[in-house]
Amino acid sequence: MIDVRIIDLSLRHPGGAEALANVSLDIPAGQFCAVLGASGAGKSTLLRVLAEITAPSTGSMLYCGAPSDTALRRRIGLIPQDFALCGRASVARNVMAVADIALWRSFIGLYPQSERARAARLLAALGLEETHLARRADSLSGGQQQRVAIARALLHRPAIILADEPVSSLDPATGEATLALLRNEARDLGATLICSLHQPDLARRFADRIILLDAGRIVFDGTPAKFDGDITRPRLLAVGQ
Amino acid sequence: MKTALPWRFPAMLNARTVALLVAAFLLLCYTGQRVEIDRMLALSGEAMLATAGITERSQVAEGLGTTLIQLAPIQLSSRREVSRIEDFDPERLPLFARIETVETPVTELNPETLRHEERAVHTAWLVEPFGYAFHVAAKMLETIEIALWGTVIAVLIGLPLALLGASNVTPHPAIRSIARAASAFLRAVPELISALFLVIAYGFGPIAGVLALGLHAAGFLGKFYADDIEDADPLPQAALAAMGAARLTIWRCAILPQALPQHIACTLYTFDRNVRMGAVIGLVGAGGIGQELKGRFDMYEYGHVGTILIAIFIVILALDLIACRARRAWR
Repeated sequence: MIDVRIIDLSLRHPGGAEALANVSLDIPAGQFCAVLGASGAGKSTLLRVLAEITAPSTGSMLYCGAPSDTALRRRIGLIPQDFALCGRASVARNVMAVADIALWRSFIGLYPQSERARAARLLAALGLEETHLARRADSLSGGQQQRVAIARALLHRPAIILADEPVSSLDPATGEATLALLRNEARDLGATLICSLHQPDLARRFADRIILLDAGRIVFDGTPAKFDGDITRPRLLAVGQ
Repeated sequence: MKTALPWRFPAMLNARTVALLVAAFLLLCYTGQRVEIDRMLALSGEAMLATAGITERSQVAEGLGTTLIQLAPIQLSSRREVSRIEDFDPERLPLFARIETVETPVTELNPETLRHEERAVHTAWLVEPFGYAFHVAAKMLETIEIALWGTVIAVLIGLPLALLGASNVTPHPAIRSIARAASAFLRAVPELISALFLVIAYGFGPIAGVLALGLHAAGFLGKFYADDIEDADPLPQAALAAMGAARLTIWRCAILPQALPQHIACTLYTFDRNVRMGAVIGLVGAGGIGQELKGRFDMYEYGHVGTILIAIFIVILALDLIACRARRAWR
């Protein structure tokens, strides 16, 4: 169980635009925290900074009170917005990429039975079939690729799951089922789930806590019951003026 | 009515690009007259006019004409004196071979009569209609084998160099610089020069050829592989790195599948180049068709040279067809 502490995180792009401004959050271990906001509000940037893909201008993150290291990164499951699969590799290789197995096994694709079983269970639960395993990732549809990315993030039993719009390419019904699976897996693993979403109704139904970002700032932080569900108002007002 | 465009679109050709193009043109003009490009164009033009019959004579056309004409007819058959062949068995002739007996008149001094007398001497020759073609094919095969092993050595040395020399896989920037310098050094020594030294070290024959080709090609495979590794899509790499994957895992799962088509294309090109260079380094005694080419050229046997050049051309063409198919299969 790992809790996440974000202290005064800011990110300013070289052009001068502020992507994140003084974001501070305490996310207890095991919490499902949904990050909402209009396009360009800073949701993906926040998740990229948490995954250490983008470095913040100022501020820091603490995991269980300590800065991240390689051992901690191995306990992160990341679902990037653009899936970031290796298109020319098979679905099996993509899913197994971060499996906790010896390097030589991963090299020649000799995966242990337990990992195969877990991958098969996750992919089946996400609605993919055995025939997909040998197919190249770039031959799949966007929705299928997104579900492969979800399986990859969950395979190594992460303690923190960072999901950047994990259901953006899925139809409403599949999206809902996928989000339910993500929440249940996180619960079973005792994992902290930080998930950016476009759909306020999904956030309200699944999340323990909702954070609303606007222009890189937190404008709402509370339980789903207190959230009024309007994520677009601030930005649209700005455009209309 | 003229409407003002609300947005400014970036110009396709700006002042900087034009200035760069002009500078590049001036540089080419300057170096062109230093390497006599103007004279080359004048002589070539003259040769074309002479070939078309418009002008009387051209130095280039005459020079090329006399040498090229000597290449034809190409030599396919071979002819050996039977008495000089060891363990010759007339019952077991090679395929398509026949024996020709040639009668030559010889004038000899008869010791009894002390007069010059003429008598006929019969010499038997083994004639193989495609003997020389088979000989060239065997030498060509040796060159292909040298090139193949040169490529294997190049891959075995070049791939580790590339992994150490690619910024996204290397364990440390200093190691990257060392690996890049090592592959630049290997590239900097031409095959012909290293073959000269290796022939002294290993003696005449294919070993020197294999090593000379392998070491040089390792230098450019080390560079090309590393460039392909660095050019691979960074998104999957970043995702795996965020999840704590080891560098080699990232290479295996997120880089290699992407870079493999380029790696294969580079390797096939290296093989193709090794076959061509294999013919050249044979000139210094490093085995293969080049050694044969050099021998025949030095003896002014241009018909044999013509056969060898055609054989090299056929092999290069065949390799190109195979490489095209292989690249398509791995796309």
